[in-house]
Amino acid sequence: MTSLAGIAANPDLIGRCQTFESAYGVITMCGLCHPGFFENMILEGGLGRFSHYSSIIQKLESFEAFLDRKDGRVTVAIADSNHVIGYCLGSYPAHDDRWAALGDLMYELAAIEVSRNFRGLKLGERLLGMTMDDDFFEDKISYMCGYSWHWDLEGKELNAAQYRSMMKKLYSRFGFREVYTNEPNITLRAENIMMIRVGSRVTAEDQLKFRHLRFGIKPK
Amino acid sequence: MLKDYPKAIVTQDGDSVLLRPATLADENALNEFFGEIPDQEQWFFREKLNDPKILHEFLLNLDYRRALPIVAVREKDGKIIANLRLHMSMAPCLGHVAHLRVMVHPNFRALKIGSWMILDCVKTAMDLGLEKLFAEFVAGVEEAAVGAAMKLDFRHEGILKGYIKDKKGVYRDLIIMSRDLQSKWSDF
Repeated sequence: MTSLAGIAANPDLIGRCQTFESAYGVITMCGLCHPGFFENMILEGGLGRFSHYSSIIQKLESFEAFLDRKDGRVTVAIADSNHVIGYCLGSYPAHDDRWAALGDLMYELAAIEVSRNFRGLKLGERLLGMTMDDDFFEDKISYMCGYSWHWDLEGKELNAAQYRSMMKKLYSRFGFREVYTNEPNITLRAENIMMIRVGSRVTAEDQLKFRHLRFGIKPK
Repeated sequence: MLKDYPKAIVTQDGDSVLLRPATLADENALNEFFGEIPDQEQWFFREKLNDPKILHEFLLNLDYRRALPIVAVREKDGKIIANLRLHMSMAPCLGHVAHLRVMVHPNFRALKIGSWMILDCVKTAMDLGLEKLFAEFVAGVEEAAVGAAMKLDFRHEGILKGYIKDKKGVYRDLIIMSRDLQSKWSDF
């Protein structure tokens, strides 16, 4: 059975692990989770379907699907031994995605979410920090696309502009900056945001290719 | 707030254009920019930044809290091809609103530079916590800018009939448009 005890007994299930005390008890951060990690885990009730908002991940199998992808990365926060209360997901873009034209240069931070019942602990920052703390990203242009229709505005009691600012602050702490693109989903609403972090070993030529691709000019 | 600048856009012909706040170092390029705006359009300038002395004073006393001037600079030669100013009030009763003015060089008007600048302005205004953005356009003169603003969710707020007089003495309407920045729920 996978639980904190199970994780301790089987370190092959994760690449790294940190524990900290919080107002809600002990929380364990697990990064670089390996396939099989989510066996017998439980999605905590603050992740799910609400009146104005649905979590991007609603089944544990979705985490495993991410781990099956090439270089798929899952970082999670665990409470009460086996309750997933937050996660950060990363993978290469899907093959039909605009950014896939640059191959393995591009890496998407596809989702980050914290349970409604565990907010205010800076878990988002911890999740993103643990995910990004890796030399792997120095060869990548890491990116996130924030779509306002995915945001839990009701749960955070924020409007879309405020939520956007919150996202900007969170990602900018890890070297991300906002960039513009004519990608149709991003341009659909002004609140939407694309942020990137350019790894230290990414060449100027690749950065220029990415700039052109942002505006629909494919690399030759 | 300004640390994300410069922000790059790429035009359909592959030219990179950088959006960034103007500084005193842009004085010559801005003089050239304003000088190349047709006379009949310069007539409608409110701040008369086409006057080198007024422009110099403006740049010398830049206060981004009151007026944030953003220039679009063609990367390959440093030419300024568009200019936008976000005007904010220090008065508490007007602290929630701002006005924008945008001008694109006549040779670069079919490249959507103005649309990108207005979008950039909307995003910046959001990040500044402003609640509403206003733009004013001269009817029959700035129709392209009106179209760009409408595509970016600006709405007609009102018209001041005959508020503007053109160089030939013809009265023109002033179109006032606004955009809410802090709407409570996504209407997607």
